[in-house]
Amino acid sequence: MRARDDLSYFKLELHKVKSMSDNDQGDSGQVPMMQKLLDNPFLLLFIGVASPAVLYLGWGIMEIVMIPAR
Amino acid sequence: MSSLLPPTKKIWWNEPIHKSELLWISLVFVWGLVMTFMMPYWHVVGKQNLGTETYQTTPKAFQTTVQAFVDKYTVRNEGPRNYPVVAPPAGGDVYMLARLWDWWPIIELKKGETYRFHLSSLDWQHGFSLQPANINIQVVPNYEHVFTLTPNAAGEYSVICNEYCGIGHHLMIGKILVVD
Repeated sequence: MRARDDLSYFKLELHKVKSMSDNDQGDSGQVPMMQKLLDNPFLLLFIGVASPAVLYLGWGIMEIVMIPAR
Repeated sequence: MSSLLPPTKKIWWNEPIHKSELLWISLVFVWGLVMTFMMPYWHVVGKQNLGTETYQTTPKAFQTTVQAFVDKYTVRNEGPRNYPVVAPPAGGDVYMLARLWDWWPIIELKKGETYRFHLSSLDWQHGFSLQPANINIQVVPNYEHVFTLTPNAAGEYSVICNEYCGIGHHLMIGKILVVD
């Protein structure tokens, strides 16, 4: 029996998972919104950068420029 | 290997959550709520609430104001560097400036009276740390920070600079005297 190397083992596992998901009856229907969000790493990256930028930097700078002159 | 492979189901969102994960998420969420509401709670019931009253100024303008305050209310001089000891009227304004490496002047207050403190820096960032009270304010140039203070015990109190400001930072100690 030929010994399998890591890459071949990985390809075999990937093939198994693909066939399982292709045959799965519960896969019909629309993908839920939360799953769409969590499956999108670039959208998550954008939210992770934009949220602190707006809430900390943006809000902070707004407060500082509104400090009145003596 | 399973973390490298895609999920077995195309729609994985509806998979039932494990009890231990649900418990962990619930505990973290509850603790997050506790910490969030602790902030406004302590702001209301805590004995020390420094306001955010701040004005734009300049080092030159603030130094002029402090000098006028010192000229008007100095009662004597103290120490090897002959610092002015300034006794402002009760309920009045108190001005202290921070500079490398100095809190100036020495202030003399009356116990039980309320004063409005004005702080600013002439050069760069310093820290106003009133010892032994837990009162700490960052002091920066071009901004005048104002807060209200009522000393409730007579004594001699130190103002430590608690923001590293250079080679003389450890020597930057001011004084506030409270008399009966």
